[in-house]
Amino acid sequence: MNTELIETITKLILEKIGDTSEEKEVPPISSDSGAGMVKLWDHLSSENHYMAAGTEKAADPYSALNSDELVKLWGQAESPETNIPCSETAVEDTILPELQTRIGVSSPLNAEALQDSVTKTPARVGVGRAGLRPKTETWLRFRLDHGAAVDAVYGNVPEELLESLKFFSVSTMADHKEEYIRRPDLGRKLSEQAKMTIREKCQFKSKVQIIASDGLSSQAIEKNLEDVYLSFLQSLDQLGIGYGTPFYIEKGRVASMDEVGEILEPEVVVLFIGERPGLISSESLSVYLCYKPRKGTIEADRMVISNIHTGGIPPVEAGAYLGSVVQKVLKYQASGVSLVHKEG
Amino acid sequence: MERNEQIISAGIDIGTSTTKLILSRFTLMNTAGSSHVPRIEIIDKEIIYKSSIYRTPLLNETLIDMKSVLGLVEQEYKKAGVRPQDIQTGAVIITGETATKQNAEEMLHLLSEQAGEFLVATAGPDLEGIIAGKGSGAFQRSKETGQTIANIDIGGGTANIAVYQAGLLRGTCTLNIGGRLIEFDNDRVKNISPPVRKLLMQLGITLATGDGVSFDFIRPVTEAMARILVHILQRKMTRDDEVLLLGHPPDWKVPIDQIMFSGGVSECIYGHEPSSDSYADIGVHLAKALQDNPELQDWEWIPPAETVRATVLGAGTQTTHISGATIQVDPARLPLKNLPVYQIGMDRNLEDGSQKVKNAIQQAIQVYDPALEGKNFVLYLTDLPFLRFRDVQQLGNWLIDAYRLQPNQTNPIVIVLQDDLAKVLGQTLLAMQSDRDVICIDQILVEQGDYLDIGNKLQSEVVPVVIKTLAFHS
Repeated sequence: MNTELIETITKLILEKIGDTSEEKEVPPISSDSGAGMVKLWDHLSSENHYMAAGTEKAADPYSALNSDELVKLWGQAESPETNIPCSETAVEDTILPELQTRIGVSSPLNAEALQDSVTKTPARVGVGRAGLRPKTETWLRFRLDHGAAVDAVYGNVPEELLESLKFFSVSTMADHKEEYIRRPDLGRKLSEQAKMTIREKCQFKSKVQIIASDGLSSQAIEKNLEDVYLSFLQSLDQLGIGYGTPFYIEKGRVASMDEVGEILEPEVVVLFIGERPGLISSESLSVYLCYKPRKGTIEADRMVISNIHTGGIPPVEAGAYLGSVVQKVLKYQASGVSLVHKEG
Repeated sequence: MERNEQIISAGIDIGTSTTKLILSRFTLMNTAGSSHVPRIEIIDKEIIYKSSIYRTPLLNETLIDMKSVLGLVEQEYKKAGVRPQDIQTGAVIITGETATKQNAEEMLHLLSEQAGEFLVATAGPDLEGIIAGKGSGAFQRSKETGQTIANIDIGGGTANIAVYQAGLLRGTCTLNIGGRLIEFDNDRVKNISPPVRKLLMQLGITLATGDGVSFDFIRPVTEAMARILVHILQRKMTRDDEVLLLGHPPDWKVPIDQIMFSGGVSECIYGHEPSSDSYADIGVHLAKALQDNPELQDWEWIPPAETVRATVLGAGTQTTHISGATIQVDPARLPLKNLPVYQIGMDRNLEDGSQKVKNAIQQAIQVYDPALEGKNFVLYLTDLPFLRFRDVQQLGNWLIDAYRLQPNQTNPIVIVLQDDLAKVLGQTLLAMQSDRDVICIDQILVEQGDYLDIGNKLQSEVVPVVIKTLAFHS
């Protein structure tokens, strides 16, 4: 199957639904005044535009159904669009267009309370239903989000990004994505070539060793690495903490930092890695920190700051905060649960 | 688990008739998961001490007895077993007619200096109403039930109305309605306050100090007060009603579902406090008039959680906010008090940002430092778009540039952000080495014209912030 084509079509349909709903925001002046009052999508014309429709309303069952529903919906909830935080809608290049019709329930008992709940979570609540099934829009969005999640796992981080940040690239023992997914152990081990390269290129025994890895979302790195990394460097500089030569591990798992610790012996390893994508965000980044990671380091000694993306903690702010976390790790010479114990 | 930090907050209310103090202990906790950036919130507020209700010490009709007030506060602190340096946040509020005394402002500032390092001075009839509505429980109730509740706090000098709908402030109004507006001495009239003189004239009653106390004037006056209150609540104010209006007319635009009375006069209605000290004024009669007014009965009356202590409780427990956990502050510069807020909305884009920032700083200086004396202000940045690192750098440059316009370059740059971006912006400003100290905090909601007090940095890496709508009407 051509996934690109599917995505394009899905997007088209979603846009169309979005457009119709925008059209419907303007309340129909009078439904019985005949032609020109109901707008239908002209899917036969190559130029996408609306055509006026009056009596032939029922001719296109899809549009008719939709417009009926939407009229009701917009009539119930007063312009729910205004309640969507603008920060989310302003993001243009996201691959997940925001749900524009946040309240999907056709005639909510208490529209205000429902709106209140809906704005509190990006989860799919209050999306309504069509009989026993989800509504078309909900279903398509679900498929789109799922598609985006799959893409994030199978995608690659662009070379130019890594070059611009001066990250050189090494690989793990996992040869290709399928293997990487089936064999987590291989993602934790660096290839022989990788070991040689980092020995050769990296500063030995630095205070802070920075690594990035695609992990389960190349999107996370693509969207967030630059901001979180540059902001992190600024905070390290301000705190007077030195750092070694950064690099990128392709198809890496969190514990790949243990081998890096063995080879380069830095005091702290900071690993930026893509999180397993979900249906809310496929580009969420995590930062794992560990004081002197070595082979056999237990998970309790690692710490993580997760949920770094446009809809979570802003990448620039996460980077700025990260400096103070590293400072604390260095001060107590511990990370994770050990750090909590030492802090008292 | 990390131990939760605790801080002590004080509230002191110097009202027309009475002065009281409360101390409470706030518990702060990181409510974010261990794998998230911390989020510090006040999870518990416990009242640890309530003072008795004291008669406000006055030297004469126009002067507060500052020494006695200070002595009173010191004595109560001792009883409670706290020292002024233990108080980490809180507010002193001067209310009702006391706020009009000649040395009111001096009193406030003296107390806020002597009774705790970050004790904030507040005043203003709107703020009184807002704080009382929070202390009485009206705010909380409206939030829980979604109803529109008017809290009417009637003390000795004023009735302060605040209308809350589903936890949102919808408007305020203040009236010269209070228990102490006519005072008695035994059976004689001792004092009549100026607004009531006007009311008496309107009612066609002649009354002078030294006259005998009689229901002939008490009843018409208290009934008129109740009637005017009804008109205000109904938003049907007539020209005659303006005689008791203090400041602006009612500014809420929603009908009121329920009413709640707090303040000293409500004590006469509900009798929460054990003592039945007679105040020798019209307070009791006013309470009776309110209860007897048939139109007031059209609304459901909700008993308040606190009567006479509503304002002091609000001042002590409801004025402190906690900043975001990732902030950049210079501890040596804190606390900062009484900074006016100037807001720039960026409309979710950085186009013309340089000019926008510059204009804003220019205007802020014009408004808050017109004589170029070096008065500082808070710049409140809102509606920022999603910022990439290079955008933050750019914004930092614009800010540093624009701040050169300030006459006093030794003042710290104080910035409040709506979004969680304070640490990166603060660090960026520091990295630009402008030689100026930086206080950059976030996740605080303020408005243009508010005044802000920023307290010392706590162990949890946050700062307490007190937001005031107006410090002093001039």
